[in-house]
Amino acid sequence: MTSSPSDTETTPHPLQDFADSVAAVVAGTAEINFDTVKVRVSPEDWVETHQLARDHLGLTFFSWLSATDWSNEVAVGDALNDEVEERVELLTFVSDLSEGKGVMFSTDLTHDEPRIASLVAIFPGANWHEREAAEMFGIDFEGHPGLDHIYLPDGFVGNPLRKSYPLLSREVKPWPGTVDVEGMPDEPSTENPES
Amino acid sequence: MTVDEHAIRQLSEAAVSVELETEEMTLNIGPQHPSTHGVLRLVARVDGERAFDVRPVIGYMHRGYEKLSEVRTYPQITALINRIDWVAGYANEVPFMVATEKLMDIEVPERAQFIRLILTEMARIASHFMFMASYPQELGALTPIMFALRERERVLDLIESVTGGRFHPNFNRIGGVKPAYGAGSTTRKQPQDLPAGFLSGANEAMGRVLDVCDELEALVAGNDVFLARTKGIGIIPPEVASSYGLSGPNLRASGVGFDLRKVADYLPYERFEFDVITAERGDCWDRWWVRLQEIREAAKIVLQAVDAIPPSGPLQAKVPKIIKVPKGETYVRAENPKGEMGYYLVSDGGTGPYRLKIRSASFSNLSILPWVLEGVLVPDIIAIMGSLDFVLGDVDR
Repeated sequence: MTSSPSDTETTPHPLQDFADSVAAVVAGTAEINFDTVKVRVSPEDWVETHQLARDHLGLTFFSWLSATDWSNEVAVGDALNDEVEERVELLTFVSDLSEGKGVMFSTDLTHDEPRIASLVAIFPGANWHEREAAEMFGIDFEGHPGLDHIYLPDGFVGNPLRKSYPLLSREVKPWPGTVDVEGMPDEPSTENPES
Repeated sequence: MTVDEHAIRQLSEAAVSVELETEEMTLNIGPQHPSTHGVLRLVARVDGERAFDVRPVIGYMHRGYEKLSEVRTYPQITALINRIDWVAGYANEVPFMVATEKLMDIEVPERAQFIRLILTEMARIASHFMFMASYPQELGALTPIMFALRERERVLDLIESVTGGRFHPNFNRIGGVKPAYGAGSTTRKQPQDLPAGFLSGANEAMGRVLDVCDELEALVAGNDVFLARTKGIGIIPPEVASSYGLSGPNLRASGVGFDLRKVADYLPYERFEFDVITAERGDCWDRWWVRLQEIREAAKIVLQAVDAIPPSGPLQAKVPKIIKVPKGETYVRAENPKGEMGYYLVSDGGTGPYRLKIRSASFSNLSILPWVLEGVLVPDIIAIMGSLDFVLGDVDR
């Protein structure tokens, strides 16, 4: 059921042919991570990639668009173990509607000013996903019909899914979940927040 | 033609050619409105009885689960993702568990997989019954809600008897499931397993579910008002549906026979016989009809699974006490009651994910509203919106 990347070196993954054929059409590089086909393309080819995927590969179903913020410094959560090249990785997932073969397309944007062409003309469903990615990661989608906030209130400052964005509740009170047990209200607390 | 007839003719033609002046106005529906299934706001430009430029305003329920997941451990995330689509809370857990197990290379025991499958299908029945109850009600038919919710209650009772929760079961563990039955200090000697009588109870409940489907069909499908309000209303062609990322029953109602239960391997669906229900037109009626048939198919799956479940066996694979997920990333998607639900999980080897992208069905399903509501009659807004069967928790995450 599962396979780790090391398995694929000995016996080819059942999705390997599919991954290679997609990579050949869109001129990207394919990898298979735990049964998920990921094809990396350059930001300049982003729109063309999706057009080719839709028109020539039959990947007509637009599932989602989002991003990952690869940062060496994090405000909350665990930092990465190894240092990475800081970037915003933009991701989409598209699929065909017969065999259910799906591809994740990935491209790297600059960390400071991520900017890319919008996919709305290819997949109108990208509209809301791009608005979400814009407010959460600060990505500028050029050609988008209106990059208003979708979840966050108007006038909200900051990009909450950036790793540099702190979680306010954690600033006020550290998460007790690591201990998993909090003192009962009538028991003397071991830690006095007032002191 | 006599002079009088001529005069009358001229008069009537004149009356028709005068354009009725209507004043354009902005109509605000919600956020607090019974038909918005939570807190959704629609802003529409209305000219007479027609609506244009409908702009959904969402985010009133945004809880930031993707950010919160980055500061939680894997077992703690189950409690969050339960609350995404609370009408089918159980079904949200499964793809996340499968994604985590994939990265950890854990094989889930067969019996646990069957329990997951049975409860997922029960969650589907519960979710679709909610639609069967609320949708006709939004269009003025007040009886079906009684039938549908009564039966939904029985299904929820069964889910509760296994998991201890009706809406938020929080029942899956990484590597298996953890039934509530047998837990607690007084009954410590009993093994934690399905409660006695669950399988026969499930059998009986599915029989009743099928009966109620017949009743609902007779009640609603023969209702002229319901037919007039739904047939030919809100048509979504298949290519539009897929380009907006519509999934689940909404996509199948548009004629696309795509069901992740048939093509993905997150649960052992390949062992059971069931049909992928599709319709042709993609209107509101088809979306209602597809869901009704899907209840029947889900009941069929539960009946088969209850027969085929291994009578005994472990419910939990061996997992370390502190769950650390090896470095890696994967995307696992599942056919949830509302459509494709998926989790893109990126781990860096720690106790919590580096990134968890939650793909929820209702977000994409709802994003088609501006397209499908363009130029429709104002009362049809309610009919079309309701037919998409969304839950705001699933939209806003």
